[in-house]
Amino acid sequence: MFLTRSEYDRGVNTFSPEGRLFQVEYAIEAIKLGSTAIGIQTSEGVVLAVEKRITSPLMEPTTIEKIVEIDKHIGCAVSGLMADSRTMVDRARVEAQNHWFTYDEKMSVESVAQAVSNLAIQFGDSDDDGNAMSRPFGVAILFAGIDEKGPQLFHMDPSGTYVQYDAKAIGSGSEGAQQSLQEAYNKSLTLKSAMKTALTILKQVMEEKLSSTNVEVAAVTPDQPFHMYSKEQVEEVIKEIA
Amino acid sequence: MFGQAILNDNLPGAKQHHWSPYTDNGGTIVAVAGDDFAIIASDTRLIQGYSILSREQTKLFKLSEQTVLGVSGCWCDVLTFTRTLEARMKMYLHEHLKPMSTPAVAQLVSTMLYHKRFFPYYVSNIVAGLDQDGKGTLYSYDPVGHCEKNRYRAGGAAGAMLQPLLDNQVGLKNMKGGVLPDITKEKALMVIKDSFISAAERDTSTGDGVIINIITKSGVEVMHFPLRKD
Repeated sequence: MFLTRSEYDRGVNTFSPEGRLFQVEYAIEAIKLGSTAIGIQTSEGVVLAVEKRITSPLMEPTTIEKIVEIDKHIGCAVSGLMADSRTMVDRARVEAQNHWFTYDEKMSVESVAQAVSNLAIQFGDSDDDGNAMSRPFGVAILFAGIDEKGPQLFHMDPSGTYVQYDAKAIGSGSEGAQQSLQEAYNKSLTLKSAMKTALTILKQVMEEKLSSTNVEVAAVTPDQPFHMYSKEQVEEVIKEIA
Repeated sequence: MFGQAILNDNLPGAKQHHWSPYTDNGGTIVAVAGDDFAIIASDTRLIQGYSILSREQTKLFKLSEQTVLGVSGCWCDVLTFTRTLEARMKMYLHEHLKPMSTPAVAQLVSTMLYHKRFFPYYVSNIVAGLDQDGKGTLYSYDPVGHCEKNRYRAGGAAGAMLQPLLDNQVGLKNMKGGVLPDITKEKALMVIKDSFISAAERDTSTGDGVIINIITKSGVEVMHFPLRKD
């Protein structure tokens, strides 16, 4: 086992004899070191909630940005290597604006996921322009948005695979959180209760005590496009679940 | 002076080189949008100078079940533009897993034209169809992509001649009276036919016949009627 790995886990373009790309698998493992992020889709909209790891009391918590806007109607939560996520978020934003420019319509959530996955699998394409990444991106992304199909949540991993979910957790606490989501989720969930569920689950899987400074919450609804929740609004929900 | 001698093209052996990449193949497009339909029509004559190249060449291109594009101008540009547009629409279908809506096509036409801002397609475009709400819409363009949403429009060789007629008959401009109601399909068809008959009287590049496409929620209905052939 060790021998096979050491032979085939160097190059990103080399399959192992069993048909695996180890660097991609390692990248997926890297996500499990990242902070937990949860997305829940309801009929009223989509909620994103992430934990922020405050590693030092001298740190300024608001500078950790793990939920960002892609376009007015789409937001995303990331987990993994934050530096890598910047590149992907930037691509998502450029693609969304290009789509609007060319077609005068909002880009669908699935199309944004598709566009970013094109970037995600470009690792190792060094022969053509040299601009490509030499390794897979160490990021998992949750795309939350509203398009003509209604509220949608998509998950994408470093292999560029993207799948639609009703509810999805990524990052270090994802295994436990996903299990809890499966038990808590139902189709008739309201946006408010989805947010409570997301924070309750985050509270369970987080090592630090949940507070309004170490979580970020955002939602996308038909009346209110992408919006982050303020510290006060988050505090209120935390009080309700206490 | 030496410089003047070079500029003097009366010198023996002097040649003037010029390149003209465009030709005008004539043709006229008329379109009218109603509440739940859009009608677009073109004549079927294709000319070059005083010659008739074809008496039965439609200038309408069905892009989808709810969008039709009418193009006239330089025929080779018409062919290149419409084929590129059709290819772009197929790529959109595969990328986004849905057919393009009429407003999306309208914006794409504008961007495609503007991308050739400094060597434009020599074309006069009108996009007609139904929007996502099933309402009749049409958009007209200049060769570099300026786009205007209209209720009625004449374009191409006799466009400038027919637009005032439509202003009067469809737009009911400069008339006393209240709010104008949406035009009926029958009235629109009648005005379009009359427009082409008038254009064929005065414009040599318009004639032979008219192809009409009526776009409703049940699809595109095609009609044809003859014009004078001289």
